[in-house]
Amino acid sequence: MDKVIKKHFALFALPTLLAFTLAFLIPFGMGVYLSFCKFKTVNNAKFIGINNYARAFSDSNFINALKFTALFTIVSVVTINIIAFIFAMLLTKSIKGTNGFRTVFFMPNLIGGIVLGYIWNMIINGILLPFNATITTDATYGFWGLVVLMNWQMIGYMMIIYISGIQNISPDLLEAAEIDGATIWQKLIHVTFPQIMPSITICLFLTLTNSFRLFDQNYALTAGAPGKETQMLALDIYNTFYGRVGWQGVGQAKAVVFSIIVAAIALTQLYLTRSKEVES
Amino acid sequence: MKSLKRVLALSMAGCMAVGVLAGCNNNSGGSSGGADDEDKPSAVGEESVDTSSVKQIYFLNFKPEISDKYDAIAAEYEKQTGVKVKVQTAASGEYEKMLTSEMGKSEPPTIFQINGPVGYQNWKDYCADLKATELYNQLNDKSLAVTNGDGVYGVPYAVEGYGIIYNNAIMDKYIATSDAKIKSVDEINSFAKLKEVVEDMTAKKADLGIEGVFGSTSLKQGDDWRWQTHLMNVPLYYEFKGEGSPITNCLNSETLEFKYADNYKNIFDLYTDNSCTDKKLLGSKTVDESMAEFATGKCAMIQNGNWAWGQVSGVEGNTVKEDDIKFLPIYTGVDGEEKQSLCIGTENYFAINSQVDAATQQASVEFLNWLFTSDYGKKAVVNDLGFIAPFNSFKDDEKPSDPLAKEVLKYMGDSDKETVIWTFAGIPSENWKQGFGASLLEYVQGNKDWTKVVDEAKSSWTTERQAAAEAAE
Amino acid sequence: MADNIKETNDIELKKAAVSENDDDATEFEVDEETLRDNSSVWKAFTEGVEKEKHQKEIKAEMDKIKMSKKKGQPMKGVDWIKFAVLMVLAILFIVPILLVLMNSFKGKLYVSNNPFELPNSESFVGIDNYIGGMQDIGFVSAFINTLIITVFSVGILVLATAMCAWYIVRVKKWYTKLMYLLFACSMIVPFQMVMYPMSYVANTIKISSIIKMFDSNFVMPEFLAQPENILNIIVMYLGFGAGLSVFMFAGFVKSVPVEIEEAAMIDGCGPIKTFFMIDLPIMKPSAITVAILNAMWIWNDYLLPTLILPNDEKSRTLPMAIQYLRGGYGSIDMAKMMAMLVLAIIPIIIFYFAAQKYIIKGVVAGAVKG
Repeated sequence: MDKVIKKHFALFALPTLLAFTLAFLIPFGMGVYLSFCKFKTVNNAKFIGINNYARAFSDSNFINALKFTALFTIVSVVTINIIAFIFAMLLTKSIKGTNGFRTVFFMPNLIGGIVLGYIWNMIINGILLPFNATITTDATYGFWGLVVLMNWQMIGYMMIIYISGIQNISPDLLEAAEIDGATIWQKLIHVTFPQIMPSITICLFLTLTNSFRLFDQNYALTAGAPGKETQMLALDIYNTFYGRVGWQGVGQAKAVVFSIIVAAIALTQLYLTRSKEVES
Repeated sequence: MKSLKRVLALSMAGCMAVGVLAGCNNNSGGSSGGADDEDKPSAVGEESVDTSSVKQIYFLNFKPEISDKYDAIAAEYEKQTGVKVKVQTAASGEYEKMLTSEMGKSEPPTIFQINGPVGYQNWKDYCADLKATELYNQLNDKSLAVTNGDGVYGVPYAVEGYGIIYNNAIMDKYIATSDAKIKSVDEINSFAKLKEVVEDMTAKKADLGIEGVFGSTSLKQGDDWRWQTHLMNVPLYYEFKGEGSPITNCLNSETLEFKYADNYKNIFDLYTDNSCTDKKLLGSKTVDESMAEFATGKCAMIQNGNWAWGQVSGVEGNTVKEDDIKFLPIYTGVDGEEKQSLCIGTENYFAINSQVDAATQQASVEFLNWLFTSDYGKKAVVNDLGFIAPFNSFKDDEKPSDPLAKEVLKYMGDSDKETVIWTFAGIPSENWKQGFGASLLEYVQGNKDWTKVVDEAKSSWTTERQAAAEAAE
Repeated sequence: MADNIKETNDIELKKAAVSENDDDATEFEVDEETLRDNSSVWKAFTEGVEKEKHQKEIKAEMDKIKMSKKKGQPMKGVDWIKFAVLMVLAILFIVPILLVLMNSFKGKLYVSNNPFELPNSESFVGIDNYIGGMQDIGFVSAFINTLIITVFSVGILVLATAMCAWYIVRVKKWYTKLMYLLFACSMIVPFQMVMYPMSYVANTIKISSIIKMFDSNFVMPEFLAQPENILNIIVMYLGFGAGLSVFMFAGFVKSVPVEIEEAAMIDGCGPIKTFFMIDLPIMKPSAITVAILNAMWIWNDYLLPTLILPNDEKSRTLPMAIQYLRGGYGSIDMAKMMAMLVLAIIPIIIFYFAAQKYIIKGVVAGAVKG
């Protein structure tokens, strides 16, 4: 059968492959090459070796963005997952209007990053108004503003995944634990967590990569202000490309570093939690 | 018009020099850029090009405050000629970013703007030679343009001035109070005097019906150019004046001494200590909001330029009468500043995108010619855009009638005074300005020492200058 | 063959459904062992959608049993506390949207100075912000642009990647394995990595001329405002979205036994007919998931259209238009901004309530696969 299908490469695989090549493979290859080049436009790129990387790492904006992004990612991953899990636990009990609650909690997830940013910009500035401050007064405000925004957006999504995980736990297991006289806490640690490990893997993966790669929300909420203190990596790369003439090569080098970090984080995380899944 | 020429000639001498420098660069880097030189197109307008096929040109506007005026002008041009002028405006402080991304698109801007020699260095691959255009030939002083070798790449279109704008009605009210420090605003001719008056006014603000003497020192990102560029111009001018053009000196300087940092601090502290807005809130204020404060009479003074009249008169509930709006020079406590005038110059140069086809380039030039030479265009320039245009096509009675432009013309005509030339054209990069603006905000919020602000400004100057040199190689 | 498809065997179906009950209700997977018999495979597959319904019914029944076993009466005291807590949380979740709605009816100054105050006679401006904002940003054309781009991109993306995934799974050659690997890798690469070169490629090439290489009769559709740009961006979305979509479809195709396709081919169907008549219909649940995930991404995407589409009233997408409100007109007008945010949220909420079931299932399935 292989052979019959194989003939239809042009119809089945080519359109996607062509678009994939144009939109991803070529740009990716160019991107890697350009990170070693000095260029203003793609046409006049000149190979200069690792100079761009050296400049990227000596750029304090980049280092700050890296720190800010890392801290933000840790805080938001932890808060989102804990809160989402609590929500999920509450909603898997037989409580009236479960579906209604799910609907409400999930809704913010559909709203786009730019819109989310402006919603919270208005609210946080409003809250800070009596204290004679705004979200750009202090980087701390911007940081927590982003955390709150991210929580609002992601909790519902993660909650749904946790719910589907919790629902798949066999009631027999919990009953058996109950008969053995396990406390609620023990049940949670010894039954629920191991059983929902796949959900935890997914949720950690999604929150981790989404937080780390955040752009739109960051751009609309603070745009990096005050100064460049609340600038995350993706925004810093964008600003290096488009805001600083002559720095395109450095921007591309930063992007390569960024990609490597994202890939490393994602793969390590998947490896770690997947191995836990096997153990249980 | 003579005074205008004088001011511009002085400031432009700098740009010319840079042109020469850039020329050297080009030659030394000739081996790598050889291909570029070969297919260098002839100057726009040199040969007659059929533009009838051009349906649309694209103007990327730098001045958000007059974007709606440009829309109206574009509509009229389309009505008269059938050529659509697409006008897009970059948000305040975002021009370079938008220009970079727009230039990469399949329909890039055909008319854009460079802010002088530094901008030309960044965009020289995209600047068409304008020496054969009517626009350039109408310039009342050819040396004003941004040139490189014998090519002309940027044509200035507006001379502007800025200083401390004050509301004379409130000043009169103050002078009428018991033991006022002055009898007439003319007595303010130094920082010491200004400070004395301002602090006395702050003490009496309830009587004067104001919330503070100065409007908000808008330090929101993108809205901080009045401080990190315009106010910075004063210490830069004093540091780099002397032999030759201050702009050239500034441009060539690898380092910033910031000799007049204390003077900068003087005036900046005065602004923020006597502001109608709490220091903590300055980081969220925009230029627009602070102009509205001035317009509604919440404050008596505000630092801005002649382009701001529209922002004052256009505010709903504007209480400032046309006769009451006046300029004071920005005094900072420098020796001999009694003779100081406003900061006058230009950072607005039109450039034509050399990467679009010849017909579109020509059509773009035709639009600019029309804007600055036709009756309708000239009227719009004077009345709506409010430019003091440096072209021969404008007669002496064709000058902006708005009160602030008149004030600028008045100061230019006063040959006793020393004009503070726009030295900021020599600032190494936009990034330096942004960094300095952010630093000022932190200082005002009490999160950074002044010495640190100064140190960072100096070290950033050095690194940014090096980076710019590296990028230009 | 057709008769075979229509013919249903209820008992077999229920069996299949029950055996599937333990699995996550969102995915349709079939145990190969129980499907050795071709005809039963047929039925199980062609009734795939029905099966979901069955699963649901069974699940609901089981839930009922569970509940009656555990709890005699509906809700106890502790549950009421939980209910109250959830209620408060739900209100907290809705408040931000309500605040935006409320402020969209207030004058400019009142939005920034008293954002938490209800509109009163002084601050209420009716729908001025809506009218002004819509005119300023060219809301209608931005909305239409976004809609066109989203609908076409998602449509093409779903169809093309489903076909591609099927091909990759069915043809086991080195190059299909390589393609699969590349698609999988592309999912992890952040957009910033390819942002600059991609916008260069998108702005340089003319997609129409590439299409013309294959089909010389190709004519640009005339109803689009700027067909070339829209075509470009659709191709970019297809290319950049291909990774996740192919990956998800491939995961599904792997669970479809080859036997049913072989049977179809023995019956004289070519690969094309087999794919469209047999595989595509049973891929429907996956297709919905892929469509929803991509629609959410494309509808809300800001950066890619910003770098590719011309930035003017005619060509902008909604997120671009909203961002332009920030400073393209000299100043930021928070009141108009609020009104435009409301208009941007409304279609999403309508879409959400209309397709809620699919959306929640879709994102969960997407997450599980991704």
